[in-house]
Amino acid sequence: MSAGRIFTGDELTADQTLECDVCVIGSGAGGAWTAHQLVKQGKRVVLLEEGGYHTRREFDMTEARAFTNLYQELGNRATDDLSMTIIQGRSVGGGTTVNWCSSFRTPERILATWRDRFGVDTLTTEALTPHWDAIERRLHVAEWPLEAINANNKVLWDGLGALGYERALIRRNVNNCLNLGACGLGCPVDAKQSMLATVLPDAVELGLELYANVSARQLEWSGRRVTAVHAEVLDPVKNRPTGVRLTVKAKLTVVSGGAINSPGLLMRSGLDGDGRVGTRTWFHPVVATLAEMPFEVNAFAGAPQSVSSHHFLDRGADKVGFFLEVPPLQPMLGSIASGGTGAQVQDILSRLPSVNAMLALHVDGLLPDENGGTVRLKDGAMSKYSITYDFQPAHWEAFREACKEMAKLQFAAGAKRVLSLHANPVVMEKVEDIGKLDDAPWEPVRVRVLTAHQMGGCGMGKDPFTSVVDPHLKFHTLDNLFVVDGSVLPTALGVNPQETIFGIARWAAAHIGDAVG
Amino acid sequence: MKMYLPPRGASKSRRGFLKKGLVGGLVLALGGGGWLLTRRSAQVVVPEGLQVLNATEYAVMWSLVQRFVPAREGFPSTEALKTALACDGILAMTEEVTRAEVKQLLMLFENALPNFLFGGRTSPFTQLDATEQEQVLAEWRDSRLTIRRTGYSALRGIAMAAYYGNPQSWPAVHYPGPLPGIHDPNAPVWKGGLEPRPVGNGTWIEPEVTP
Repeated sequence: MSAGRIFTGDELTADQTLECDVCVIGSGAGGAWTAHQLVKQGKRVVLLEEGGYHTRREFDMTEARAFTNLYQELGNRATDDLSMTIIQGRSVGGGTTVNWCSSFRTPERILATWRDRFGVDTLTTEALTPHWDAIERRLHVAEWPLEAINANNKVLWDGLGALGYERALIRRNVNNCLNLGACGLGCPVDAKQSMLATVLPDAVELGLELYANVSARQLEWSGRRVTAVHAEVLDPVKNRPTGVRLTVKAKLTVVSGGAINSPGLLMRSGLDGDGRVGTRTWFHPVVATLAEMPFEVNAFAGAPQSVSSHHFLDRGADKVGFFLEVPPLQPMLGSIASGGTGAQVQDILSRLPSVNAMLALHVDGLLPDENGGTVRLKDGAMSKYSITYDFQPAHWEAFREACKEMAKLQFAAGAKRVLSLHANPVVMEKVEDIGKLDDAPWEPVRVRVLTAHQMGGCGMGKDPFTSVVDPHLKFHTLDNLFVVDGSVLPTALGVNPQETIFGIARWAAAHIGDAVG
Repeated sequence: MKMYLPPRGASKSRRGFLKKGLVGGLVLALGGGGWLLTRRSAQVVVPEGLQVLNATEYAVMWSLVQRFVPAREGFPSTEALKTALACDGILAMTEEVTRAEVKQLLMLFENALPNFLFGGRTSPFTQLDATEQEQVLAEWRDSRLTIRRTGYSALRGIAMAAYYGNPQSWPAVHYPGPLPGIHDPNAPVWKGGLEPRPVGNGTWIEPEVTP
């Protein structure tokens, strides 16, 4: 028997008002750990999640089902001009339900940057280490063995080895993993130690009341205090408001909706931080190349991400650094993300089993003149936002150089042919062709740019005139409102973000509990 | 403080992305009249179950999916897979603002006046032959106007998702699909309360400390 309960939209048929110590909004990496730690402290916690409660019963490993149920805007979230596709989770467990399990602690140099540039002196390696230790134990975080990496990752591993570049195996949060390759589609055996499978049910056992299909629409506030959270119940199938409303009156509210939805909720509530909320959003913008290999790669099978290289992280003071990984390649995402006409897509996809895909993730937010992304409310929309990204020459230079390096790596691993993801793809048959990338158009909506890591938008900092939350994650102008998710990160990380957010949330829960009293 | 929540049942305003840009607004304004509008769209059989698109919009989508997934040996036809209808199904799951934008975009593709201004053609998109349609798509894709490249990308994405998301397309790309015997459609769904939590890979037992 559990002290808590998970409610879904179909069960919520009448308006109700709930009273509790803490209302957490969002059940992803930040919200789950925060809620868990607070119920462990004995607090009464209500957690609202806009997405549905989708479990392994539904995880049939098909893209069509996964994108419909588990991703923001059915996987169609993007900047207004579609210059960047934004792949972001949306269900109980948030991004952790669909990410590729890569687990990294926050790099020391990033924490130092936050301290030096933004006055964030609270988040040190020393402060976070005990939390990371506990998190890694609970989530079974361990290095994926070299003998178990799939052929897609092996292309990257071999290419890096051949060129003498730095390479490493990735640590993953999995338990009894069957090496299926379906991490992005929802793990059908709960091997992925997502929040859905681990920390949230742990918290429900301890007393958490989790409401799925409930979209927080507004924070009501007066003076320096949030007095209520107003939410709408969504139909679990149609994903539209049923007309039923939920009101939560909590002593303290934690916003954990992620780097786009958290700013959205704050802006809808008139809490725009003098325009700063929703600005300086960082995406680790991704460019990719596809390679046809002379052997079977089957990039749709096996642990999706197990090798990385941070060789190009520091490219000089005025340049954007990048790190390298690979993605899984299933037909739907592969067709959308690839470049070219219909016939060109058929051509490359008909060779799908021998196609390797490689990613370069760019570390944005570290150059002084970068503005990153901006999130604004969109007229008439429910969960869609107006999103723009300020691409600068430094980004395009890095994208071009990253594609050149990836092509080199793919050829070094034996590629017969490498393609860029331009609308009109650059086709390279040999190493000497890599120079063609210099003549390709590097402009918005001419080359595919994606993101699977959303950060910033409610950046933390000591100065209330340049940040949204303080170094303890409290909203600067309210006393009982905290933001705990990827939106508080003042810059991108240079590593996959889930463990950073886990650590920050577990660390923050201690003083949030104190603030409740 | 003002409440954001709209009254129950209130309709939401529509503001398509095409209206935002100056050029987009101009294109739409031009599309509103003129003799070229009298050029009729091609007729296609409208299937049962259409939820979002009207007959003309469906005809445009029908033409587009044939270009984005052209006839090719080994690939099931878009007709056989009902890809245009599947596009409509995808749109039905999106927000009203998105549906409105896509409908607007489809008509912009179809409208003969912008096609005339940008490409010198006097026929609607659906009345062009396959080669000309390919040329129109290439013009949108390679346009100097970001808004046209965006439009191309949006429609391409919907068509690709509708076709390659269909398991019947998988043999053509040698995708074996999910490994059988793994997914359990009867797996327990635990919601707490009186029901005991099933033991599985997500449950945690603290390892015993070795003395």
